Amino acid sequence: MSESLEKLQNRILSDAKNKAEETIKDAQAKSQQILEEAKQRAQREFEDTIAKANVEAESIRRSILSSKVRVNRLRILEEKNRIVEDIIHSVEDRLSSISKSEQFEETAQRFVTEAVKAVDTDQPVVRIGFRDMSKRNLDAVSKVLPKGGKLVIDEKPIDDLGGVVATDPEGKVVFNNTFKSRLERLDNQLLTLISSTVFGE
Amino acid sequence: MSGIDAVKKIVETEAQARRIVDEASTKAQQIISETREQAERIRQEAIARAQQQREEMLSGAKNKAEAEALQSDKETEQILNTYRKLSEERKATAVSKAVELILNA
Repeated sequence: MSESLEKLQNRILSDAKNKAEETIKDAQAKSQQILEEAKQRAQREFEDTIAKANVEAESIRRSILSSKVRVNRLRILEEKNRIVEDIIHSVEDRLSSISKSEQFEETAQRFVTEAVKAVDTDQPVVRIGFRDMSKRNLDAVSKVLPKGGKLVIDEKPIDDLGGVVATDPEGKVVFNNTFKSRLERLDNQLLTLISSTVFGE
Repeated sequence: MSGIDAVKKIVETEAQARRIVDEASTKAQQIISETREQAERIRQEAIARAQQQREEMLSGAKNKAEAEALQSDKETEQILNTYRKLSEERKATAVSKAVELILNA
């Protein structure tokens, strides 16, 4: 009786110990699995963050560079523009003082001839006005006017730089052959010529 | 040993067995709980490492871009100097050609 009781007690305790060991083993196995999964998840999160940071870093780099390139392109354009503007001012200075040059009479005659031809009338009215223009200069101009034509002399240069404006007697047809008007008409050619001469473009 | 004593012994032994099982269960819960805390620490450490590496990458990219931007500034300055020099050398020719164009076109 006593011996079988002791065996029963041992078995009960042995069963309990076995169960306890199994519980601990299960917990340890589960623990191992939790750790493995946590490590893998942490690695994935780490890699995701780094991948996004790579994209973000490239975006920052591009943004800084493209901003700088834009600013520098603008500086270059502004400098070219300043140079071209400076040259055009010099051209305007030369044109506005043309009456002092040997070319004046021939140029004035040609401007008048072109303007008269453009308004296409027997009785053109031609206004002429250049800076520092003298009477002597105008004798040559009178020669190219048709017989019915009228020459009006402006004391001041027309359109600031000087030139010629022809109209028909009614003033309905007008041809502006001033330097300013010619500069505007030849604007594209002028810019191309200046750019190719200075910058070789 | 009487029958009552034997039953008492069995009851005591079963109580002892329950304690063993309960203690194991408590220990198992503790193991899981500690493991979950450790897992969270691992995650937090990975996040912190990633954040630090991200900051370093962004800072590095910014520094690199600024160095490249400086190079762009230098190149631009060279181009501007070239244009200024060309302008000085060729301005008179350009003015003459432009005047001729306006007079004779």
